[in-house]
Amino acid sequence: MTKLVTLTIDGMQVSVPEGTLVVDAAKKIGIEIPVFCYHPKMEPVGMCRMCLVEIGRPVIDRSTGQPVLEDDGSPKIQFSPNLETACTTPVGAGMVVLGATEKARSGREDIIEFLLTSHPLDCPICDKGGECPLQNLTIKYGSGQSRYLYDEKKHFVKHVSLGELIFLDRERCIQCGRCVRFQSEIVDDPVIGFFHRGRALEIVTYSNPGFDSYFSGNTTDICPVGALTTADFRFGARPWELNKAASICNHCPVGCNLTMNVRREAASGGDWVVKRVMPRQNESVNEIWVCDKGRFGYHFAASSSNDQTSFKRLSQPLVRKNAGSDHPGELVPASWDEALSVVSERFAEAGDGLLALAGGRLANEDLFNLKQLTTTLGGEAVLYTHMAGGELTTQLGIQPGSDIGTMGQGDAILVVACDLMEEAPIWWLRVKQAAERGSQLIILNSRSTKLDQAAAFVLRYPFGAETSAVLAMLNALSEKRLRLPEAVQVLERDPTLQAAAEVFSGANNALIMYGSDCIGLTESQALAQACANLLDATGHVGRPNNGLLGVWPRANDQGAWELGFQTQTKLEDALGAAAALYIVAADPAGDDPTYLGQSGFGGKAFVVVQDLYLTQTARLADVVLPAQSWIERDGSFTSGERRAQRFYPVIPPRTAPVSRAESPSTNKAPLLIAGDEVMESPLPDFAITAMITLRIDSEARITASSAARVFNQMAETVPAFSDQTYLELAQVHEQWPIVGRDDLYYGGTSYENTGGLGMQLALNTSDTPSTTRLAGTTVEFIRMPKLGQIAFPIARLYDRGKTLMPSQLLHERIGEPYIVLNVNDAEMLRIQDGDVVHMTVANREPDSPDRVTTGQTVVVQARLDQELPERVVLVPRSFGIPIDKPTPVEIRRTE
Amino acid sequence: MLAEKYTTEIQTILAKYPPEERRAAVMPLLYLVQRDQLYVDRHSMSEIAEILGISTTEVASVVGFYSLYYDQPGGKYRIQVCTDLPCALRGAEQFMEQLCQRLGIKPGETTSDGLFTVEPVMCLASCDKAPMFQVQSGGGLAYYEDQTVENALALIEQLRTEAASKGSAKRKDEYE
Ligand code: SF4
Ligand code: SF4
Ligand code: FES
Ligand code: FES
Repeated sequence: MTKLVTLTIDGMQVSVPEGTLVVDAAKKIGIEIPVFCYHPKMEPVGMCRMCLVEIGRPVIDRSTGQPVLEDDGSPKIQFSPNLETACTTPVGAGMVVLGATEKARSGREDIIEFLLTSHPLDCPICDKGGECPLQNLTIKYGSGQSRYLYDEKKHFVKHVSLGELIFLDRERCIQCGRCVRFQSEIVDDPVIGFFHRGRALEIVTYSNPGFDSYFSGNTTDICPVGALTTADFRFGARPWELNKAASICNHCPVGCNLTMNVRREAASGGDWVVKRVMPRQNESVNEIWVCDKGRFGYHFAASSSNDQTSFKRLSQPLVRKNAGSDHPGELVPASWDEALSVVSERFAEAGDGLLALAGGRLANEDLFNLKQLTTTLGGEAVLYTHMAGGELTTQLGIQPGSDIGTMGQGDAILVVACDLMEEAPIWWLRVKQAAERGSQLIILNSRSTKLDQAAAFVLRYPFGAETSAVLAMLNALSEKRLRLPEAVQVLERDPTLQAAAEVFSGANNALIMYGSDCIGLTESQALAQACANLLDATGHVGRPNNGLLGVWPRANDQGAWELGFQTQTKLEDALGAAAALYIVAADPAGDDPTYLGQSGFGGKAFVVVQDLYLTQTARLADVVLPAQSWIERDGSFTSGERRAQRFYPVIPPRTAPVSRAESPSTNKAPLLIAGDEVMESPLPDFAITAMITLRIDSEARITASSAARVFNQMAETVPAFSDQTYLELAQVHEQWPIVGRDDLYYGGTSYENTGGLGMQLALNTSDTPSTTRLAGTTVEFIRMPKLGQIAFPIARLYDRGKTLMPSQLLHERIGEPYIVLNVNDAEMLRIQDGDVVHMTVANREPDSPDRVTTGQTVVVQARLDQELPERVVLVPRSFGIPIDKPTPVEIRRTE
Repeated sequence: MLAEKYTTEIQTILAKYPPEERRAAVMPLLYLVQRDQLYVDRHSMSEIAEILGISTTEVASVVGFYSLYYDQPGGKYRIQVCTDLPCALRGAEQFMEQLCQRLGIKPGETTSDGLFTVEPVMCLASCDKAPMFQVQSGGGLAYYEDQTVENALALIEQLRTEAASKGSAKRKDEYE
């Protein structure tokens, strides 16, 4: 236990752990000590002097070591002659802090006056106005009169683009250094810095592109003035005009808590418009940060059916009509009633021939109802993904009470086949911080990633040997050694591996995070199994902060696993064989033409597509059903840390008549099915599925009425959710540091969490985990072909996926499709860096990697890399290149 | 290319610091570049960043912080006049103004022959001997104290003659 120290601040007694700073101690008991440069997430620097207080310390008699007493018996307190900075002074026993005295007040007034000697009078046009610490503290502490000499005011450039995402107003900067310190201290991306000194000081970036960091947006939250603004929100609205609603990021399995700010705009015909996305504090998930994908990538959900771009939303059901033997007919608008009756009739006919294919961006409630439908009919519910092993995470995954933020000394984290920075940036941050607190970080990967810098052990395996590499760790710990392929034998003998294995095994708590770097569905299943075995063998299961964590490609893949969704290794065959297809939030035909099959998409199947947009797959469907995006409704997602978290309606459904567009408050779900006019617009996925099911079987246990009811039904049926209620997910408790509220100067503009901290799911103990399954499995690994190359898929945070491309702002960062080649291969193929090349994807023959049969050809840019082994080609996922597992390819120069 | 041109120098500099504190070599490496080309261009900053395993922005911040480093080309000789408070009390501001006037430039500008840049800087720790300035050139750094405009101009003339007699071809050995 840390020692508690008792002191008095403005007459109030407080006991805080030794080492606490005076400024934080005051905050704990609600006493305001204003700060600019101090931030509770960063080391104090004492640069701005705003936090001045009077500090008195008990006088100690040197000879006795005892406190000297006043006549009345109270300890004698000696005040130092000068004001001191509360942000750099640790508390001391018996200390007396005075922050409300005239002396302290006038010290702060001087600082404000000093800061304002060259601050522009921009408040009326400044984006920060209304939530600006400098503005607020000036009103509170500033003198009413300025002695400021207007002629001496320095003028600086007001629109400096630090890259296309963040803008700097040099005149407004008060040189607190928070932004620079955040980038180097917290996220280890020191791409902005101070240049020059004194009045001439400016914030600069020398990276290419400018301010090249996935976390750049956070600096605009902690900048205490309007010096840093995002290109997205700049001059977009005044903070006080904005309504707020709690949401959850839908881009990756971290599940960052968000607050979305909205307002109605004349420019949008009176519609509600999302103006910005802000982090919402959840110290167990994202603390007070979000990555730039979460902050800037919301447009796909917010676009409307009036959108003139290709991201025009679906506004009503479409049913294929006039189809003949020689022509496909066309999709024509229909009523929900008509569409639902066609769908339910055909699904009923299909019976257990129904295949429901769902995307992992759906909510728990949507997935649950889909599962109810397939259970009713006897069909199959498949998750559309390239990464498997989910059932293992439900059994051996992490459990309630787990929090990477609490891992440190004595704990270990193994990250395997994963590029965390690209796959889940906030987890990258959390794992890096755990390592900084003393956790042993072990990285197993075939190539270097940014996380390597934070690791205690970095181990490399040959491309395609991820499972063997994990088993090599297991071998290092056991008598009975599995025979492993030759390719990993060097690694197996590596003393570093031995040491890492022992550290992992001996750790108090240990997590394995596995991703899908350079692997596909089959490989990830084997990898997950190997990880499960390692966890089981070392006893790192069934306790908080222990277990298996999947770094899934989608935000709610975890929810799908918990609800029993399966994977399908031969998806193209399954699609062709089904009698009816119900494709929800997935676009297989758009992602990979292989899915079109020999006889057109879905073969003879009756195809229903439910989505936001008219996707490629939707164009081929028999019926298209328009769904609401997650910000138009409520529901819950399950994060990769198995935390169910609620999101709330942010904007009303896009195509609902404006008269219905009531203020979207966090407490009110929009009316779903009330009156005909709303009926013809998009509906929540769970409701559509329920209505189909109820038409098939009016007795079915399924509900369309509200996400809350679906959730509670799910809690009754699915053991993992059994400890939860929808209401409880909305519970909050006090978090540290205290952010939001009235004092934005302290933590920045990140929102306080009032919408719920979520709850972690209990482990599934009904099925006994199968950790022995692997023993009989032969250890496969990818053999390099003698000819041609093998393409390995990698993740890029900014990809060309359908949920990101509508965010125009990110296009420059996303870039064009490319592949990465080894320099020697490139030389042989006479390819230079930046050349446009043709890549021909071989047919999907996983069993005979040497056989290169010609498939689809893509035209991409080639980038060269020194480090990459020969014959290895890296291909980013979701860039329009249909490669989602190691695949033989042929590359040739474009003549 | 810095790394190729100065392989041994770089190695000697790096050898002075423990490998995990490699970033501490940023200042001597910047000197190396500046000695060579009289200012540090962006490309060299990136090269230094790469050698030291830090970001280009971090290297640039060091250049920006110290008045000894330049990120823009200027005269062959940089005359840095201290105009900080104590020096100002001894007439440093007028000194600089007059010097510039005589050279036909404004503070911060370079003479038309490309040889001299005059600029104000903060305290150079010779406060009692103001007006004072330092001259920075490829050859190194020299202090000149208790100056008048006349002896400053005399010095400038002398440097000008030296520069002319050596010629630009020989410029290099001047730095050794
Ligand atoms: S830009 Fe903002 S955060 Fe950065 S130093 Fe200036 S005032 Fe501080
Ligand atoms: S880390 Fe993931 S969940 Fe968090 S904001 Fe980024 S994309 Fe969204
Ligand atoms: S010096 Fe304490 S907040 Fe800046
Ligand atoms: S003030 Fe000029 S040298 Fe110190």
